[in-house]
Amino acid sequence: MNFNLTTTPEEEAFRREVGDFLKAELNDELRRQHAMDKGLGPEARAFNRKIGQKGWLGLGWPKEYGGSGGSLMYEIILLQEFARHEAHVPNEIARYMAGPTILHHGSEEMKKEFLPRIAAGEIEFGLGYTEPPAGSDLMAMQMRAVEEGDYFIINGQKTFNTESHYADYHWLAAKTNPKGPRHESISLFVVDQRAPGIDIRPLETLGGERTNEVYYDNVKVPKSRLVGEKNKGFFYMVNALNYERLALFQMERLFPTLNRLVQYAKETRRNGVLLADDPLVRNKLAQLVIEAEVGKCLEYKALSLLLDGRIDYESGIVKLIGSELRQRLGYKAMEILGQFGLLEDGSPWAPLRGEIARLCRASVVDTIGGGTSEIIRNITAMRGLRLPRK
Amino acid sequence: MDIKFSEEQEMIRHSARGFLSKNCPSSFVRSMVQDEKGFAEELWKGMAELGWMGLIIPEEYEGSGLGFLDLIVLLEEMGRVLLPGPFFSTVVLGGFTLVEAGNEEQKKRFLPPMVRGDLIMTLALNEAESYYDPGSITVSAKESGENYVIQGTKLFVPDAHVADWIICAARTGPGGDSGEGISLFLVDGRASGLNRKLLKTIAGDKQFEVVFDQVVVPKTNLLGPLNQGWPPLKKVLQKAAVAKCAEMVGGGQQVLDLTAAYAKEREQFGQLIGSFQAIQHHCVNMLIDLDGCRWVTYKAAWMFDQGLPFETEASIAKAWSTEAYRRVVALGHQVFGGIGYMEEHDLPLYFRQARVAEAAFGDGDYHRKIIADHVFAQGVF
Repeated sequence: MNFNLTTTPEEEAFRREVGDFLKAELNDELRRQHAMDKGLGPEARAFNRKIGQKGWLGLGWPKEYGGSGGSLMYEIILLQEFARHEAHVPNEIARYMAGPTILHHGSEEMKKEFLPRIAAGEIEFGLGYTEPPAGSDLMAMQMRAVEEGDYFIINGQKTFNTESHYADYHWLAAKTNPKGPRHESISLFVVDQRAPGIDIRPLETLGGERTNEVYYDNVKVPKSRLVGEKNKGFFYMVNALNYERLALFQMERLFPTLNRLVQYAKETRRNGVLLADDPLVRNKLAQLVIEAEVGKCLEYKALSLLLDGRIDYESGIVKLIGSELRQRLGYKAMEILGQFGLLEDGSPWAPLRGEIARLCRASVVDTIGGGTSEIIRNITAMRGLRLPRK
Repeated sequence: MDIKFSEEQEMIRHSARGFLSKNCPSSFVRSMVQDEKGFAEELWKGMAELGWMGLIIPEEYEGSGLGFLDLIVLLEEMGRVLLPGPFFSTVVLGGFTLVEAGNEEQKKRFLPPMVRGDLIMTLALNEAESYYDPGSITVSAKESGENYVIQGTKLFVPDAHVADWIICAARTGPGGDSGEGISLFLVDGRASGLNRKLLKTIAGDKQFEVVFDQVVVPKTNLLGPLNQGWPPLKKVLQKAAVAKCAEMVGGGQQVLDLTAAYAKEREQFGQLIGSFQAIQHHCVNMLIDLDGCRWVTYKAAWMFDQGLPFETEASIAKAWSTEAYRRVVALGHQVFGGIGYMEEHDLPLYFRQARVAEAAFGDGDYHRKIIADHVFAQGVF
């Protein structure tokens, strides 16, 4: 049994290297650009390239494809350390979905074309799965890809595609076998996001980040851009999900906010009492710490299973706990801040640079995107407890 | 990072599970509630023969000298079957306190018989107005020649009626910010002036009012330094809290196992109730709550064995497990429906024990105070 993240001196040295890099390179503007997904500014793109140059964006990939040939443990250390410093390892779609799928199932040509550039931080991918009729029920998607000579002609509409306005490539799922069985009806494609026929329309969200509707009108995609085998898309998508969820919800992300709340309570009075002396405030903060630590224990359990190649439903649980906790953190923080919690960044008197107001708004989607809490509970019931389907 | 138990720990678990499933069915648990002593001598001897009492006692006192995490594995199995009897009182409250605070002579005198199963011990700490809090202890110990004389009433003393020795936390001096003024005394269970009255708890476990009426204790039975009994006792209570969590993990797992099994066999409306999403979500919420208890408890025990400061982690484990176990049992009741509400069903046994475990060694509010103190002093780790 070992609850230390790092086990060897080499791992610890890497962790410190990442920490030192972030302490030197991160500034408030970069953090702000990472927090607000409106379209990362030039500073963030330059920062991404720097991370790529360190070889950190393709850590686990073979050296022949531009990766560092490192182990999964180093990927985990990188993510944990970034989370601790409130940084964001960029390009999740490329690193957890497009990249691994291309690596394991793509043609040699595709691997050589994309993996080195992802690892170098030169290109980004946007996710193209969700559609108006296809949220939790992804297989109900209707975008069609029809073979015509050396191309697929793709028509349809995606929605809630959050990276499309700045990503270079669209990691697209479309139906190539609509009459066949559901789990054999979809294929994956790598599409130039700026190809003719693609229309990207912005959607504003409660959380303040931009997402998009993406319309495909007779878009021609070369057959060489089909990922792996036709009609195997569902299988590839499912395989990528475990990695994606672990990366999205690290409990470490919550601790800086908690620390700021503690500090705020030490400096703020209300109705004659220092918040830090108010038993109710102390109780609330203690409970948040408890839940964050319990979440962290379960995260470490899942990471340990991941390292062992034995992970199953546990990653869903971590996402579930993390997302629900992040929402509770927002609400409890609002309670602690009182009226001041309403104030957005830029307002006079806004505490913590409006962080809590934004956290409340932005965390609403946490229990929805990447697998709703309900779907995750359904899946856990079947895979974790073997409860019957019908 | 590694969540696997060692081979030895897996062996402890495996052999404990086998022994207890044979020797501690729920009918036994029920009969011990009625039984005046609350435990069976033969079973007690069997446990001693398996080396359970000596698991964490250092080898120089005839124990196995294993770690806290090893004991946690054992306690989890005990909690799973709601093992009645004075094991926890003897080994966790008595054993740990002796190891922490005893001098060489006291350790040599009490630990080997404890290991052999020949000695039962407990701790008298709480009072009418004192809940795991040294500052509010009023039971007093006054110097008198070569002795101390203890006066006052202790409450919620587990297994006081069968304890050969009772460790009593009494006031010998004025209080202070760090629990000064409290001393620990080894009191002979046969001492005159000791009066025990059984408290009738929701679980029917053996907790007692113990009145110390001019109980004379030789000075050689002072355990630890005079007026400085709280620091070692505090450490023991932290471990006791985590140990209690281990029992809750075991109990919670049994509740989940029973519940999931029932959901896979009970039919209503022409289908298994386990196929209904509401039931599925209840079961998953139980699984998540229980998994949280499990891993935060293991981590706290692991930290202790590593020599890392674990006070906050222990409080986190107890606060979480207390409330999570409550939810697990409550959801179990929802899934079982009416039959789970009947006394002949096992679930009420777990319900009752959960209430006792909740109050033992600090509930959620008690531990949140400790965590808040730490967080405001040192920030969130």
